[in-house]
Amino acid sequence: MRPFRRKGDELLARLDPAEARILALLLDQLEQLLTADAEDVAGDPVLDRLLPAGHRSDPELAADYRDLTEASLRTGKADDLATVRAGLPLDGGTVRLDPEEAGAWLRTSNDLRLALGTRLDIQEDTEPPEDLASEEGQQLAVYYWLTGLQGSLVDALAAGRAGRR
Amino acid sequence: MAGPLAPTRTPEETVEEHGDLDRPWVTIVWNDPVNLMTYVTYVLQELFGYDEPTATTLMLQVHEEGKAIVSSGPRERMEHDTSRLHAYGLWASYQRDA
Repeated sequence: MRPFRRKGDELLARLDPAEARILALLLDQLEQLLTADAEDVAGDPVLDRLLPAGHRSDPELAADYRDLTEASLRTGKADDLATVRAGLPLDGGTVRLDPEEAGAWLRTSNDLRLALGTRLDIQEDTEPPEDLASEEGQQLAVYYWLTGLQGSLVDALAAGRAGRR
Repeated sequence: MAGPLAPTRTPEETVEEHGDLDRPWVTIVWNDPVNLMTYVTYVLQELFGYDEPTATTLMLQVHEEGKAIVSSGPRERMEHDTSRLHAYGLWASYQRDA
């Protein structure tokens, strides 16, 4: 991977073929979760994290909030996911994003990190894996790879904003 | 652009149980172990127009104290702010100001 960097108004990164395939797979999994029948994924901790309660102690207000916002939030996530998929070179190669596409990549890569982080029970003191042979070690490695990708996108976008002042 | 949703519902004409109608509502961001500190700072600038030092101060408060109030105002506005934060994956909720 060559991390994101800014070039004019565009944000560029380069993905290896294997990285592009992993990202495509993660997008498929996220889409499956977001489009699953509600009863099949009720109580799924990842879904609870991606679409959290708006109010913490008042169930009525929380239900109210969900009625008001959940459909729009789901639509936004689906649109972002489609944008990322459209810009992903499946055989590896350059990712080239305009500012709007960069927003979609930012949010979707964060959702993927939240999903993996929840499944892997990531804590503040979780360390990168030493054992890459185990299933969990490999998933942790993917999580840290995503962190690097998203981190470089955040830094490039933040630097661009600072440069506009 | 994902997320922004304008609540179309009219405010309910109910008296809150505490009767204190002047007390505003607040939107809170809670600490979580996944969101990057740089990302939280960026999103707070993006959504609320905070300058970088203000957004960084709020982010550090989230990180060190576990939560921070990022906006305050009428309930409908706080619902809207919470949903914009949720669109970015921040762990947010709204409530009456304590």
